[in-house]
Amino acid sequence: MGEFLHQLDRALYAALPGALVSLLILLTLAPIRLPDVMSAAPLLPLMAVYHFCLFRADALPAWLLFVLGMLFDLLQGGPGAPVGISALQFLLVRQVILGNQKYLVSVSFTFIWLGYAILSAAAVTLSWWVAALLTWRWIDPQPAFFQYIVSLFLYPIFGWVLGRGRNRDPLNAPGSRS
Amino acid sequence: MALRNAVAQTAASVRQLVQRFSLALLVAAAAGTMLIGKADTVLLERVRAAALDLVSPLLEAMSRPVATVNDFIATVEDLADLRAENARLREENARLLAWQSVARRLEVENGELRGLLNFKEGPQATFITARVVGDSGSAFVRSMLLNVGRRAGVASGQAVVTGEGLIGRITEVGDSWSRVLLLSDLSFRLPVLVERTRERAILTGDNSPLAKLVMTQSVVGIQVGDRIITSGHGGSFPVGIPVGVVASTTDGIRVRPLGEVTRLEFVRVIDYGITGLVTGPAPPPEVFGPPAPPPAPPAAKPAAASKGR
Repeated sequence: MGEFLHQLDRALYAALPGALVSLLILLTLAPIRLPDVMSAAPLLPLMAVYHFCLFRADALPAWLLFVLGMLFDLLQGGPGAPVGISALQFLLVRQVILGNQKYLVSVSFTFIWLGYAILSAAAVTLSWWVAALLTWRWIDPQPAFFQYIVSLFLYPIFGWVLGRGRNRDPLNAPGSRS
Repeated sequence: MALRNAVAQTAASVRQLVQRFSLALLVAAAAGTMLIGKADTVLLERVRAAALDLVSPLLEAMSRPVATVNDFIATVEDLADLRAENARLREENARLLAWQSVARRLEVENGELRGLLNFKEGPQATFITARVVGDSGSAFVRSMLLNVGRRAGVASGQAVVTGEGLIGRITEVGDSWSRVLLLSDLSFRLPVLVERTRERAILTGDNSPLAKLVMTQSVVGIQVGDRIITSGHGGSFPVGIPVGVVASTTDGIRVRPLGEVTRLEFVRVIDYGITGLVTGPAPPPEVFGPPAPPPAPPAAKPAAASKGR
């Protein structure tokens, strides 16, 4: 019984990042009343992808990010969100993090935040470019800009909450980073 | 044995190859899908509809707690300026009562004049009330998901309104969901009329809060504050749904949409023109326009005619 519970615990732990990204995708679609200045929801799925690729990349394999990104784009709908752009964002974020992992190990939270700022700026710019190119029109970048800024200031809270979860990780030494 | 070894070796090398290139493959697949989506929209719409069929029950289940949270936020916000709001509403009420009497008088007069001319009304519109269960969430798409679909009679192209005015049109329909493309979306186009000058134009969105008015015959006559209404050209929209108010004329003509989009919980889909096709007992259709117009009985026609003389 104990062994079974332990296995269940491990399985849930392994499934957590994927499940959380899926949940955040749904939450992004929910018609939550945002302040008037924000016409777009914060980049919650991207935050989760960044966080988990940094600390638990094994739990978010590339194929899963691809599937989740595709699903996200399919649900968003419209020519401004071409299907595949989120998948591309997620995959590129993952690859950049894995490629620079040696610099990102055991750095202070400020640097992790800075990394998020740079990577999400690149991701938002990419999606703006792709949307503008594919529709061949000038797109007002202001909603995307506000989306980026709000997400930037939400990330510390987000990282803190997920960091608490990580400290209780049965596999890691508690409080190793954050 | 040797064969099995060879097979195992090949499998291992294939696996290694796939692992090495999996990222490149996935990136290429994502980029390829974007291009395919541009070229073959039908295929993608099918996949999209399947995805939404799966997810819409979840969104529907989530929408009620979300509405509760939104109500709470709205209450807190409203409490802050309750007095000012009250004074404003009192003033508006007085003004509207004056307008109401004018509208009633005009309604009667209009009815009589139509009777004189033997004027034929267009098809009457019926409404389908829907709950908003999803937003787009993307910075470059302005759309909403509704919890009604084909089963409720929703069809692609129908107008979606709130009490204030038009907010968009239905673009995708599933069995029990539909997607509304909002006025401010990049790909939105709508034939409209400037109410005061009766000038025709096309309204387009560009992802900013203000929509753009293009293809006007002449820009000179249009002033800030002019109301924009649907023109009915194109068929699926009734004439005269309020769309917006001209907000600026300096940098092209910009229109502020009337239907408030950020805090919607319920909207109405206008089912227009389908009344001629549906047979069997149907609920009495609601007429779009001012409430409770005094009925103009057919018997009044000769009377009106004699009064006119």
